[in-house]
Amino acid sequence: MVSERQGGSATPQADGGNRLTAELARRAYNIRRHALRMGEVQGQGYVAQALGFADVLAVLYFQALRYNPADPHWEERDRCLLSIGHYAIALYAALIEAGVLPETEIESYGSDDSRLPMSGMASYTPGMEISGGSLGQGLPIAVGVCLGLKRKASRSFVYNLLSDGELNEGSTWEAAQSASHWQLDNLIAVVDVNNQQADGPSSQVMSFEPLEARWQSFGWHVARVDGNDLAALSEAFDSARNLQEPKPRVIICDTRMGRGVPFLEGREKAHFIRVDPDEWALALEQLRLEA
Amino acid sequence: MTSAEIQARSAALRAFYPMRVIREQFGRSMIALAEQRGDLVALTADLMYATGMAPFGERFPERLINLGIAEQNMTGVAAGLASCGKLAVVCGYAAFTSLRAIEQAKVDCAYNEVKVILCGLSAGLSYGVGGPTHQTFEDVAIMRAIPNMTVVVPSDTIELDQALQAAAARPGDAPIYLRIGRGPEHAFNDTAAPFEIGRARKLREGRDISLIANGPMVVEALIAADILAEHGIGASVLNMHTVKPIDREAVLSEAANVRGMIVVEEHNIHGGLGSAVLEVLRGGHGFPVELIGIEDIYPPIGPTFALRESLGLCASAIVARAMAMPRRN
Repeated sequence: MVSERQGGSATPQADGGNRLTAELARRAYNIRRHALRMGEVQGQGYVAQALGFADVLAVLYFQALRYNPADPHWEERDRCLLSIGHYAIALYAALIEAGVLPETEIESYGSDDSRLPMSGMASYTPGMEISGGSLGQGLPIAVGVCLGLKRKASRSFVYNLLSDGELNEGSTWEAAQSASHWQLDNLIAVVDVNNQQADGPSSQVMSFEPLEARWQSFGWHVARVDGNDLAALSEAFDSARNLQEPKPRVIICDTRMGRGVPFLEGREKAHFIRVDPDEWALALEQLRLEA
Repeated sequence: MTSAEIQARSAALRAFYPMRVIREQFGRSMIALAEQRGDLVALTADLMYATGMAPFGERFPERLINLGIAEQNMTGVAAGLASCGKLAVVCGYAAFTSLRAIEQAKVDCAYNEVKVILCGLSAGLSYGVGGPTHQTFEDVAIMRAIPNMTVVVPSDTIELDQALQAAAARPGDAPIYLRIGRGPEHAFNDTAAPFEIGRARKLREGRDISLIANGPMVVEALIAADILAEHGIGASVLNMHTVKPIDREAVLSEAANVRGMIVVEEHNIHGGLGSAVLEVLRGGHGFPVELIGIEDIYPPIGPTFALRESLGLCASAIVARAMAMPRRN
């Protein structure tokens, strides 16, 4: 029986911090491994994003988020909204590692009767708060959830996972301005900046910098970190949670697509990758050697 | 009977029905609903005054969320509130609720299975002077094509109140779109008559022709039926307030009992009530069906009743069409 996981602080002592980082590294490795195994089932997918975002998810699910693996609808839980529906494979990997989903379901990924469809659906998958797929939808819903939780005097946090490409969408900024207008200090947005979208590097498709200044000008507390640096992520998530200012918070995470598997990290067109059948074993082996 | 005579008779009959301001009733009905339902939260996009919600805002300031001119965010926020157990009621213009924020209506509300009441005011030609950007003649077609979405078009202030109550009381996790007008409209419904979403209301009996209408066209159909009766033509009138799910039995029963049918709506002839009725009939009943609506044009800019008259959305035009159309033997 897994007990409720209380979100909160990393251990402040230096040696404790090291232990925590080692534990997070183990979790991140497992999340990457689960994602690769799901990718192998379909031979393709948004695997490079999952590899790049795994460290963020490890910190989110094993340090920050409060949830009960045995009861995904536990009222006191923090909400984690996946605005980037195509990252479903990454979130499934985290949910498997968190014990919300059984590891045995990896084999069913993307098949007709699976609880793990290739785009996230709340009605199918335990631990999936919203059905997504269209970009720019998550942050408005998150604002509504934050308002609803505050009206219930809930102390839960709402995490909303976005990407740099998604920042092209105007609705994201409509939501951003309303979040600061209502001083939603229970909202933590997490932006995966891998500088890659469907048509190429995000900075070339539609430039998005300076990101910190943009969010700051919308009234948000901003942290920008190396999204593949567990210690930095750990500190950023703690700071976002513990901030006393009545502001929404955003953690901008610069990540490297394919992180942990060198031959995938080197790929130019990494948005939706196809991997030859014999290369999955190589990917898993490279991941093991890198860890 | 000359068209001038029909128009004069139409004007005389019209005078029997008092005028009531739709958005004022909307505000009153929302206050009444909020008094019953502690979980109700209303949302608007800088249209508190324009939707008649200012009295609500004074009565329940903490329960009216104004998002500024940002309908996409409003609809997403409504979905988020609903997922936390709130009865979220979006109070916007039909044009923006059904067009600007349609993906949020589809994905955040309908696909995500949350109970949000989407109120689209100033619909149809009720804000005629707003021009084609604010006139709304495609919303029923759009909303009707979204799985999980119910579409209701109340016909006067009385039915508006009933529809809001019914929308709030209905079980299940699915959104509903209420298509609502704006200014003064004729009031005619019986407050004591039961209202049920998905069940059409028969207002007149007749064996020659069936007039199926909703929204502000119902009273036009009633006036037309009375004029036709004076000329020996029996016209039944069916108030099809719910376009989706449409009352199939009522449509089929009409088709079996009359010799011709006219569907009247303040909407593009493509995709609205007329299309919904034809989908039920599927051309298999071998009798004439005519559609009266906006003929796939951008209407001119002008006051509501004059616009309707110019576009043939009025009792006299229904009478003329009924007299001219072929009838099944």
